Amino acid sequence: MKRRKFDMAAMPAKTGRAVDERFQVATPLRRLLNKVFPDHWSFLLGEIALFSFIVLLLTGVFLTFFFEPAMTEVIYNGSYAPLRGTPMSAAYASTLDISFDVRGGLIMRQMHHWSALLFMAAIVVHMLRVFFTGAFRKPRETNWIIGSLLFWVGFLAGFTGYSLPDDGLSGTGLRIASAIMLSIPVIGSWVTSSVFNGEFPGTIIISRFFIAHVLLIPGLLVALISVHLGLVFKQKHTQWPGPGRTNGNVVGERMFPRYAIKQGGFFMVVFGVIALMGGLFQINPVWLFGPYEAWVVSAASQPDWYVMFLDGSTRLMPDWEIFIPIGDGYVIPPLFWPTVVLPGILVMLSLFYPFMEARYLKDYRSHNLLQRPRDVPFRTALGMMAITFYVILTLTGANDVIADKFHISLNAMTWAGRIGLLVLPPVAYYLTYRICLGLQQHDREVLAHGVETGIIRRLPDGRFVEVHQPLSSGGEHGELPYAGWVVPKKMNRLGALGPAIRGFFYPIEKPAEAPVSPGHPPVEPRAEREEIGSGDSRRS
Amino acid sequence: MSTHTAHPGHEQVDVNDPRLSQFDIVREGARRDDIEIVHYEPQVMPGSKAERRLVRTVAAMFLLTGLAATAFLVVYIWWPWEYEMGRGGDKLYTPLLGLTLGIALLGLGFGILTWGKKLLPKEVSIQDRHEGAVSADDQRITGQTMAYMADELGVKRRPLLGVSLLVGLAPVGAVAAAPLVGGLISNPHKNNQMMVTGFSPQDGQKIRLVREDGRPIRPADISAGGQITVFPGIEHGVSNLHADSPTLLIHLREADAEESRRNNERVGHGGYMWGNYAAYSKICTHAGCPASLYEQQTNRLLCPCHQSQFLITDNAKPIFGPASRRLPQLPIEVDAEGYFVAKSDYTEAVGPDFWERP
Amino acid sequence: MTSDNDRRRGLLARLRGRPVVRSRGRRRLGAAVRLVAALMLAGGAYTLLAPSASAQDNPPLSGAAADGKALFDVSCVTCHGRNAQGVEGRGPSLIGVGAASVEFQVSTGRMPMARQEAQAQRKPEVFSPDEIDQLAAYIQQLGGGPVVPAGDNLHADGNVAVGGELYRINCSQCHAFSGGGGALSSGKYAPSLSPATDRQIYAAMLSGPQNMPVFGDNQITPEQKADIIAYIQQSLKHDSDPGGVFNLGRYGPSTEGVAIFLIGIVALVFTSLWIAGKS
Repeated sequence: MKRRKFDMAAMPAKTGRAVDERFQVATPLRRLLNKVFPDHWSFLLGEIALFSFIVLLLTGVFLTFFFEPAMTEVIYNGSYAPLRGTPMSAAYASTLDISFDVRGGLIMRQMHHWSALLFMAAIVVHMLRVFFTGAFRKPRETNWIIGSLLFWVGFLAGFTGYSLPDDGLSGTGLRIASAIMLSIPVIGSWVTSSVFNGEFPGTIIISRFFIAHVLLIPGLLVALISVHLGLVFKQKHTQWPGPGRTNGNVVGERMFPRYAIKQGGFFMVVFGVIALMGGLFQINPVWLFGPYEAWVVSAASQPDWYVMFLDGSTRLMPDWEIFIPIGDGYVIPPLFWPTVVLPGILVMLSLFYPFMEARYLKDYRSHNLLQRPRDVPFRTALGMMAITFYVILTLTGANDVIADKFHISLNAMTWAGRIGLLVLPPVAYYLTYRICLGLQQHDREVLAHGVETGIIRRLPDGRFVEVHQPLSSGGEHGELPYAGWVVPKKMNRLGALGPAIRGFFYPIEKPAEAPVSPGHPPVEPRAEREEIGSGDSRRS
Repeated sequence: MSTHTAHPGHEQVDVNDPRLSQFDIVREGARRDDIEIVHYEPQVMPGSKAERRLVRTVAAMFLLTGLAATAFLVVYIWWPWEYEMGRGGDKLYTPLLGLTLGIALLGLGFGILTWGKKLLPKEVSIQDRHEGAVSADDQRITGQTMAYMADELGVKRRPLLGVSLLVGLAPVGAVAAAPLVGGLISNPHKNNQMMVTGFSPQDGQKIRLVREDGRPIRPADISAGGQITVFPGIEHGVSNLHADSPTLLIHLREADAEESRRNNERVGHGGYMWGNYAAYSKICTHAGCPASLYEQQTNRLLCPCHQSQFLITDNAKPIFGPASRRLPQLPIEVDAEGYFVAKSDYTEAVGPDFWERP
Repeated sequence: MTSDNDRRRGLLARLRGRPVVRSRGRRRLGAAVRLVAALMLAGGAYTLLAPSASAQDNPPLSGAAADGKALFDVSCVTCHGRNAQGVEGRGPSLIGVGAASVEFQVSTGRMPMARQEAQAQRKPEVFSPDEIDQLAAYIQQLGGGPVVPAGDNLHADGNVAVGGELYRINCSQCHAFSGGGGALSSGKYAPSLSPATDRQIYAAMLSGPQNMPVFGDNQITPEQKADIIAYIQQSLKHDSDPGGVFNLGRYGPSTEGVAIFLIGIVALVFTSLWIAGKS
C-alpha cells in the first residue's frame, strides 16, 4: 500500500481520500479512467447489440408484469372487438391485454420486438466486421467463440419469445419446432414428448418457454456478454494499422470522458431509434393472427428474420427420406438435415474457424492489428461465400412472399433457390477473390506511382501525361512498402489518416513516424500542410 | 498489473509539486498507466464564436429532449388511447408515444455526442499493450504452485482418495441431473398417443366428423369443389388437445373422384372415400403445419410453411417440395342418420415423420 | 380499351334502341346478323371468331337475359362457346355456374380475360354494372346456379368476432391473416382482398372462382357469410393499424426483417460513422 505516493493532495476531494482509505480504489479507478480505446466507427457495431440488449431487459421486465404464461383456456373479453368472445389461451389473452388494455403496453411490446430484431442484426453485422478484419485471431479466439455462442443463444431467446404470445403465427412456428425435434433419429419422439410433456402442444410449453425466456436464457446472455466485454477490456481492443500504431500499443482516446461520452450518447441514439421504430412501425400484430389453433394457418407463415435461413433451408430440401429396413423399419425424415444437421455444422464451423485458419496459415502469433479485407483474399472470399449462402437461404425463407408480390411462380422460386444455393456461393468466392486482388494491385500501383492528380501536362515532345503525386519523397521511383494502411487514392484524401491522429501526421511526403514527445496543451496551431506542387520532378 | 513497470527516459514526477498544472498531473497519471498523451488540442477556442454556437446547438438539443419528453407525458396521460374499431385517434396513440420518446432520446443522444465530439479537446493517446508482459517466470511459478498444491493433497501418493472421491461424486452428479431428467421425461408412446387420433372409435362407436362449432356434417353440406375442415365429434375434439386430428373433407368433382377412387384402390385404400368425398389429414407430414391451401381445379393441396404440394386425386401424394410422405387418408362413410363418420381411425401415423414410425 | 369499349357500347345501344315488331326469334336472328355485318364493316377481329347465327331452340329469354346474350355473343363466346357450353382448352362451360360467378368474374375485370395465363387477374372492369346484371341474368337463365343476394352492403348484421373465427378457419390459409393474399403452386395465387366489395366476396364464396374452393350456402350459411364479410371489411380493411403509421404491408416477419436492416441498422451505422473515426 503506497498511499502516500498517490495522495491526491492537489485534489480537494476529501471524500475521495476517505473512500480510498477504505477501498483502495484510486489506482484502479485511474487505470479505468485512463484506459485507451481506439476510435473507429466499425468498433461501435457491437455496442448496438449491447445497447439493444439493455433495452430488451428494460422493456422485457415491463412485459412480465402483465404477461400470464399459461395455456389455460379463457374467453377473451377485452377491448379488441374482433376477438371478443373467442376462446384462447391465457397467454394470448394477456398479450392482447398488453396491446390494448395496458396503457402504453403496445409500444413496449413493439419496442421489445424491434430491439430483439436489432440485437440479432447488430450481432451479425458486428460478427462480419470481426471476421473480415481478422479480429478473431489470437489472442481473441475465446471472445470469438463467446460471440458466436451469443448469436445462437440470442437465437433461442428470440425463438422462445416469439412463441410466448401463443398466437396463430407463433403456434405454427412452435409446431414446426416440435417436428424438428421429432425428426432427430432414435431419440426424437422422446425429446419432443419430454419438452412438451406429451403430445404437441400440451398445456405446459408456454410456461416452460417463459422461464427459459425470462430467466435462463437472459441469465446466460448476461453472463456471456459480461465475459465478452471483460475480455475486450482485458485484452484491449484491436486497432487498424496506421501511423504510430503497432501490434504492441493502442492508439486512441482515453476512456473518460471522450470515449464514455460517445458511448452514452450512442446508447441514447440506439434507444431512440428503437423507440421510433416501436412507435411508428407496426410489428407482429398478434391480434390479426388469432389464438393458436392446430388447424389454422396463414399464407406466408414465416419466423423472424434470424430464423428464416432455417425455414429457407427446409423449403429447399428435396424430399429425401432415409428408410432403414430393420425390424418394422426406421426413418430419418428429410426435415432432419436442414434443421438439425445444417445448424449443427454452422455452429461448429463458426466456433472453430479461428483455429482452422490459424492451422491453415500456420500462424500462431498474437495479432492486435486488424487486416484490411482485401489483404486476405481467401478469408474475405470465404466470408462472402458464407454470406451468399446465408442470404439465399434467408430469401428462400420468404420465397412465398416474393413469389406472390413479384408474380413469380412459387415452384420456380424453390428451384431457383436450390440451384442458386449450389452455384452462387462459389461464384461469390471467385469474384470476391478477384476483386481483392484487384484492389491490392491498385494499392501497390498508387504506392509506386502516386495519386492521380487530374492535372494533364504536356511534355516538350508533345505528349500529354497525367501528373501523379507520389506518396513518398524517396527519389524518382521511390516506392513505399505496403503496410496494411489505407492508401489515399484521391488528392483530397492525402493525409486522410491525419484526422484521427492530427498533429503529427502532416503531409504524406513526410514519412510518418511515431511521435517522440507528448503534446502540450494548449498545442501550438498546427503547421499548414505543405502545398502540393504541380509535380515538378515528381512525375512518375 | 503492477505499478512498478519501469519507464526509461521518464523520471518520476513529484505530483505534489505546486508548479504542476492539473493537466500535468493528469498526464503523469496517464504515464503511470503506460499511456502517452501524444496529442491534445482544443477544438474550439474558449469564448470563440464557434464555441458559443456549439454550446447553443447542444443546449437546443437538450431543450428539445425536455420538450419531447413533456409531450410524451402529455400524450400518455391525455390522448384517448382505448381501442376502438375504425380509424379513430386512438390509433395514433402508439405512434405519438414512439415519436415523442424517440425524439427525446435522440435529442439527448445527439446532444451528448455533439458535446463530446465537438466541444471536448481532441486527443490522441497511446497505451502500451504489454504484449511482452507474459512472463515465463510467472508462468513457471504459478505452474509449480499448482503442482505443489496437488502434491500437498497427495493425490498421487494416495490414489485411493482420488478414485474414491470420483466414485463418490459420480452419483452425486447423477443426483443433480436425475430430478430434471426424471421430471421432464415423458414416454411418447404412452397410450399409443403418436398413432391414435380423435377419430379412433370409442366403445365400438364410430366417431362423427364435425365442424368447428360441433355440428355434424351431411354430404349435402359441401358443394362439389368445396372443402371443409372437420374434427372428431368427441369432447375437446375441436381443440388443441387433439392437435393431430383436424382433417380436410373434400368434395371432389365427378371425374376427379373417379380418378381418386382408382388411385385409392391401387394403394389398398379402396373404400376410404364415400361417394365423391375424400378426407385427408390436415397436418402436414413434413413439419406439421396445417396443409390446407386446396386448389379446387388442380386438386393440389399446398402447405404454406414449406410449400410441399400434395396431389389429392392421387392419395395426396407429395409432388413438390420437401415432404416425403402422403397425407394420411381417413376412411369415411355416412351413418344411418346421414352424417359423416370415420370408419376407423387413420391407418397410419398422422403428422410429421419420426424415427420409429413403422 | 375504353374507347373501344365505348364504341361497342354505342353500337349495341343503337342496335337495341331501334324499335322492332318482329317475332322474338327473328328479331334475335336479325340483330345477330346486323351485328356481324357491323363488325365486319368495322373490320373488327371479332368477325373471325363470332359464331354464325343459327336457329336455336332454347327457352325464351327474359329482356335482361336477351341483352346479356347479346353481350355474351360479342365478348365471351370466343372462349366459352355458343350457349356458354365451353370450348375445350379455352374456357369452361358456364352452365350452372350461376349469376354469382358471372358477377364475380366480370365485376372484378377478370373476365373477359386479356390472355390465357396461370390465373385470371383483377383488372379494371370492362362492363358497366347494368351490363353485368344482363350477363348474369343470361347465364342464370341458361343453367341456374348460386345468386348473390341484393344490396351493396351484405355485412350489415355481421358479427366481426364470429367472422374472424370463420375467416381464420376457412380463408386465412390462402388469403393470409392480413387479407393480403398469398402464393399458390406454380404461379397461381390467392388475391388480396383489399379491393374486393361485399358482393364480390360473397360471389367468390358462392362460386369458388378459379382455384378457390366453393363455400356454398350449405356449408357457410348466409349469416356466416355476412360475419366473414364484416370481419374482412370492418376489421381487416377499415380498422387502421394500432401499432404504427407504417404497417410494413402486414407481410409479417419478412418485411420486418427488411425494415430492421434498412432502417435500424442503416441509421445506426450512419450514426456511428458520424461519431467515430473513419480510417
